Amino acid sequence: MRVIVFTAPGCPWCTRAKNYLRERGISFKEVDISRNPSAARDLVRMTGQTGVPVIVINGKPVVGFNKPLIDRLLGLK
Amino acid sequence: MEFFIKKENEKKREYDALVIGAGPAGLTAAIYIARGRFSVLVFEKVIPGGLAATTHLIENYPGFPEGVEGEELGRLMEKQARNLGVEFAMEEVVDVELEGEKKRVKTRDGEYEGKAVVIATGSSHKKLGVPGEDKFTGKGVSYCATCDAPFYKDKKIAVVGCGNSGMQEGLYLLRFVRSIDFIEYFPYIPADRILQERVKKHENVKFHLNHQVLEIVGDERVEGVRVKKRDTGEEKVIEVDGVFIFAGLSPNTAFLNGKMELEDGYVVTDEFMRTSIPGVFACGDVRKKVLRQVATAVGDGAVCGASVVEYLEGR
Ligand SMILES: Cc1cc2nc3c(=O)[nH]c(=O)nc-3n(C[C@H](O)[C@H](O)[C@H](O)COP(=O)(O)OP(=O)(O)OC[C@H]3O[C@@H](n4cnc5c(N)ncnc54)[C@H](O)[C@@H]3O)c2cc1C
Repeated sequence: MRVIVFTAPGCPWCTRAKNYLRERGISFKEVDISRNPSAARDLVRMTGQTGVPVIVINGKPVVGFNKPLIDRLLGLK
Repeated sequence: MEFFIKKENEKKREYDALVIGAGPAGLTAAIYIARGRFSVLVFEKVIPGGLAATTHLIENYPGFPEGVEGEELGRLMEKQARNLGVEFAMEEVVDVELEGEKKRVKTRDGEYEGKAVVIATGSSHKKLGVPGEDKFTGKGVSYCATCDAPFYKDKKIAVVGCGNSGMQEGLYLLRFVRSIDFIEYFPYIPADRILQERVKKHENVKFHLNHQVLEIVGDERVEGVRVKKRDTGEEKVIEVDGVFIFAGLSPNTAFLNGKMELEDGYVVTDEFMRTSIPGVFACGDVRKKVLRQVATAVGDGAVCGASVVEYLEGR
């Protein structure tokens, strides 16, 4: 399983998403878009939206902390 | 997994006090209650720290001469509460039953009982309610600078609202964007002078005072903001790639409607932070009051915590 979390500093839902993955014992890679402008551009292209967190699970992007969808993609429920 | 689910079910469901919201007000109340040696559970739907956690730098809360990052302040307050034995449930409260000796709080995941309840749910950003706003939310319209600023690197943006929030977040956005057009409904800038001075030092800012936002325009993406000058009625479109809105707040009290005395949605309390229902208290931005800041939220929280302790000692 490959999980990437796109975040920005001071984005509370990003922290919530990271805490949730940690609680569930899921390891992930974090990309801070404030330090990586090209990642921000990629996200807009991928999701059509200008917001974080975006959690990419096995190539599928989830915009925002959408717990049911995240659980489903992770096979948790 | 089995183990996790079992542990969840065994979670304690009865407390002396239930606090809804882990912003500065709720966390302070919880600290005072825990120090009174009563059990307390704090509900939080996002992260501890509250609205304050979304602002990049808090400069007017005493004790931090260089200012403190909102998220960091939240983390410190949470830690202090946890050290005292305060428990947290990262769940959104959806309903409450507040009458009687035993009060019930319902979340999406379960139900809890407490002898006292503290409402500290704060407030959320108010929408402007203009055409284009919903269509472009998350696609060019934002309510959180720290969250979304990186998407606007070298872009032209508008900031709606020149109160303290608008100015302060504007300063943060200036690190990323090419230029900012500030739009303000009133004919003057309501923010503190110190913030105004700092913003005005930048060359790439422009102010449109006494202007009302009529519409956020664009086809596929945001192309501009249509505004009207309030005294002359003259309309124009300010061309921008994104719009940040800091036009006031509205209280998070939808789940309390019809259950207690509210005024314009804010919870009415006395100076002991007591609401119209015995055993139910409120503190922080959610209250009807004059100044909504971290310092006043913490002040409310202290009074509220002390009142809860007194109430519980009398049970
Ligand atoms: C952009 C901006 C900049 C600011 N800058 C400053 C500043 O520089 N200095 C300053 O002093 N103040 C500042 N403020 C104001 C400050 O953030 C607030 O006054 C303060 O956070 C209020 O604290 P509170 O605990 O009352 O509410 P909040 O901080 O809003 O906390 C309420 C908490 O309750 C939670 N909650 C709400 N409903 C539910 C529910 N149903 N179930 C579970 N949890 C729920 C929320 O998620 C939130 O965490 C700023 C505000 C904004 C918007």
